[in-house]
Formats: sequence, C-alpha cells, structure tokens
Amino acid sequence: MNMTDKHRLWLMFPTKLITRPIIWELGKKFEVITNIRQCSVNEEIGLVSLELEGDRDEVKRSIAWLEEQGVKVEPVEINTIEG
Amino acid sequence: MDKSNRPFFSNLKCRECGKLYEKKAIHVCEYDFGPLEAAYDYDAIRTSISRAAIESRPQTMWRYRELLPIDGEPTVGAQVGFTPLVKADRLAAKLGIKSLYIKNDTVNYPTLSFKDRVVSVALSRACELGFKVVACASTGNLANSVAANAAAAGLKSYVLIPADLEQGKVLGSLVYGTNVIGIHGPYDQVNRLCSEIAGKYGWGFVNVNLRPYYAEGSKTMGFEICEQLGWRIPRHTVAPMASGSLLTKIHKAYNEFVKVGIVEDAKFSVHGAQATGCAPIAHAMQRGTDIVKPVPKPDTIAKSLAIGTPADGYYAIHAMRQTGGGAEDVTDDEIVDGIKLLAEHAGIFAETAGGVTVACAKKLIASGKIPRDEEAVLCITGHGLKTQEAIAGKCGELRLIKPSLRDFEEQIYNPDMAATA
Ligand SMILES: Cc1ncc(COP(=O)(O)O)c(C=O)c1O
Ligand SMILES: [Zn+2]
Repeated sequence: MNMTDKHRLWLMFPTKLITRPIIWELGKKFEVITNIRQCSVNEEIGLVSLELEGDRDEVKRSIAWLEEQGVKVEPVEINTIEG
Repeated sequence: MDKSNRPFFSNLKCRECGKLYEKKAIHVCEYDFGPLEAAYDYDAIRTSISRAAIESRPQTMWRYRELLPIDGEPTVGAQVGFTPLVKADRLAAKLGIKSLYIKNDTVNYPTLSFKDRVVSVALSRACELGFKVVACASTGNLANSVAANAAAAGLKSYVLIPADLEQGKVLGSLVYGTNVIGIHGPYDQVNRLCSEIAGKYGWGFVNVNLRPYYAEGSKTMGFEICEQLGWRIPRHTVAPMASGSLLTKIHKAYNEFVKVGIVEDAKFSVHGAQATGCAPIAHAMQRGTDIVKPVPKPDTIAKSLAIGTPADGYYAIHAMRQTGGGAEDVTDDEIVDGIKLLAEHAGIFAETAGGVTVACAKKLIASGKIPRDEEAVLCITGHGLKTQEAIAGKCGELRLIKPSLRDFEEQIYNPDMAATA
C-alpha cells in the first residue's frame, strides 16, 4: 500500500438494506480497515459513523461500491454549505 | 476578561458524549464523530456578569462577550449587531396576534444579514488561532459576510457558492476582492469537495473546522432580543431554518441567560420556518420524528435556506419539541406574500428568508400553535435588496407620466375621487 488515508464518514442505510451485513462485505471485497464509531437503527433508516482507512484509490472504490449498493455516503461534515 | 484569570470559555465539548477538547480548529469528536460545541464556565460567568455591566458597554453583539468563544478582545467585526427590535403593531393586527416584534437583522453591519454575527466570531477566533486564509461554502449571505469581514481584517478569503445564485449575492462577494468560486453540481458533491479542501489546505474554513466558534455567534440574536425586551425571554420566537443552527443557538442563548442569572426563568417556545421546496427539518417535525430526510434537489426562491442536508436539523427539532414549538413550511407564492406583508405593514424590506419567517408565523398563529393573545418575536435575518429577483414584477409597477399636472390628475391622483381612494 502507498499513501493511506483516513476518511470519516456517515453512512445512511435505506430500509431495504438495514439487515444486510454490508460493512462486513466491504471489508471482504476491499483492502480497507473499517472502524465503526456509532450507529443507530430504527424501522426507517440505519445510520453508521464509520472510519475508513486504506489506500486512497481503494477507499474511493469502496465508497463507490457502497453507493452502488444504495447506501448514502457523506463526509462527517455532512453539510459544509451554509446560508 | 475575568480578573481571576479563569477563562470563561473553557473548552470544546462533544454534543453526543460530552468529551472535552482543547479550543483548537476542530469540529468533530474523535470517538463518535459528534459535533463539538463551545463550553463555558457558567459559575465564573455568573459571578462576573451583570445587566449593568452589559448596559455600560458599546451597543454591539460583543457586549455579551463572556458568553462568546474567543480568548481576547474581538478583532474582526467589533461593530456587528445590536440591530433594532421593532414593535410591529400594524403587522400584529394583520396577522391577528396581540403583540408582535421584529428583530431586524436586515440592517446588520456590515453586510445586511445575521451572518455578520457568526462571521465576526469565526474570524476573530481564526485570527487568534493564527489563520491567514479563511474560506466558506455558502448560499450567499455567509459568503458576503466572510468576504467583507476578511477584507477589513486583511485576511485572504475564498468563498464557494452554488452556480445559480442571485446577482446581488454574487456581486456582494466579488466587490470585496475575494476569490468567488461558483460550483456546478449536486449539493452532496459540493459538500464532499469542501470537506476535502478544508482537510487539505489548513485554511480556516468558517463552517467546517471553525464551526464550533462560528455557530456561537447566532446566540447574540437571542441575547439582544432579551435585553431589548427589558431583560426577559419572549413567549414565542420564530426563526428561519437552513442548517437549523440559528434556531438551536437562540434556544441556547435563552437558556444561558437564565443559567447566569441575567433573566428570570420563563416558559418560552421556539418555532422554525422553512420553504416547502426545501423543508427537511419542518417535515420531520410534522411527521413527529427526529430523523431528517435529506432533500437532494432543493427547489425554492428562498435560496439562502436551501440546505438539503441540515447539519443541526436534529438539534433544532429537539429545541422546538422541548419548548413546545412548531415548524411550518410555505410555498414560493406565500414567501412573496410574506415579504410584502412585512414591507407594507412594518416598513421592512426583507430577503426571501424573511418572507418565509413571516408567512410561517402567519400559519402558526392561524393554527393556534402561537395563541392570538400572546406575544411573538420574528427573526428577520437578511435584506431584500439582495434577492430582488424574487419579487420583481410581483409588487406593482412603475407608472410613467409626462411632467404635467393634468397627466398626474388623470392617471395618478384625482382629487375628486380621492375621498374614495
Ligand atoms: C438570511 C438567512 N436567514 C437564515 C438562515 C438560516 O441559518 P441556519 O443555517 O443557522 O439555520 C440563513 C443561512 O443559512 C440566511 O442566509
Ligand atoms: Zn463524542
């Protein structure tokens, strides 16, 4: 691995994905370290704060994969635009 | 400053787990990624602050400096704030409520919106922390204020804005010689870019790594309202919501004034206002949940409030619920009507966000959420000259005549008909 990056992310799981072990799948598919810091799940939505560490491109690919599965991925700075 | 040398502003503190952090340019908790907030030594403040001391100071937002998160004296925007609180009897009659006040931040100094409050704190703190370059991402008002205040302070600035903003807001940044960057593309991608820039260049990003300082500036609107009412908390306050920060901080301001013994504890409610085309917080309130569903494509003339993923939505909802407040949302037509109502009945020309606040207040009064025999303060947060496009062609037309009395009497004012006019 060359340059490793740490990304702090919020993942939002829609109802239909809540029961799927997506973060486990992510760790199997990509060379990234996943570190969950907080999560909350109810019948509507699942929220996970996740630190993702790995090679910059590998991290990018893993985020793209998450989005393909239907997970919304945001930096922890969810909203950097203000009024 | 406190004579005992115990700093009033002590730490940053995680809003989720309460862990304390040093007062640096950081904004999320290392443990749970919760947002950091300024924490104060209220016991020390309580023994030092008094109404008389505040009243003896210049009429700016910095008269409440014990409750603001900087170490020394303010160096940027020292003249900001203390805008008029106007008793608006004609508007009260029109909306059918006993007592109504307008907190008029359309005339805030220097850039005519409440954002000068937050920027004054953020840039004063940025200077204390040694930043030379400051930046923000904004739908307009924040950009104007960062550009102006950075220019005055001699800081280099970059402001990022959506590509389709009102002319007044674009020019209102460019004129200060700042770097204005318009970004095409969906908001979530813009967000991602900004968080990358903020992480990479070590700039003072006003609403990212300086956010804990920045956000505290909004409290001064609440402090001023209390002082201007004769040192008491108003029964109802209506605030516009974009990220939800202003509303959250007005709630905090009222509670802090009670905590440090400046005002008596009293029942109060804070209510939130949004535009229907981007109302993630109001809709969550109405659904009875605190889960804020992002709005991927905001669509409203209230561009200053068009934030689809509100950072403080969750906290705003809790502030409203906890105080028995409500949230409303209004259409573009209702916003224009709100702007006109305020102009015609209080003589105040507000931007679209002000139209949202007035129109939502009207609904809250009509529904009984704000009872007609009580009092309300409306937070009017930005000037109408910045968003002229929104009302162009919707408030009457210029009537042209020749310079003759005959023309005037024929077309404009006929003294024989004046009794009925
Ligand atoms: C004029 C005006 N009013 C209100 C707001 C809402 O502020 P907040 O993001 O604190 O909810 C903004 C900007 O965000 C604004 O520009
Ligand atoms: Zn924490």
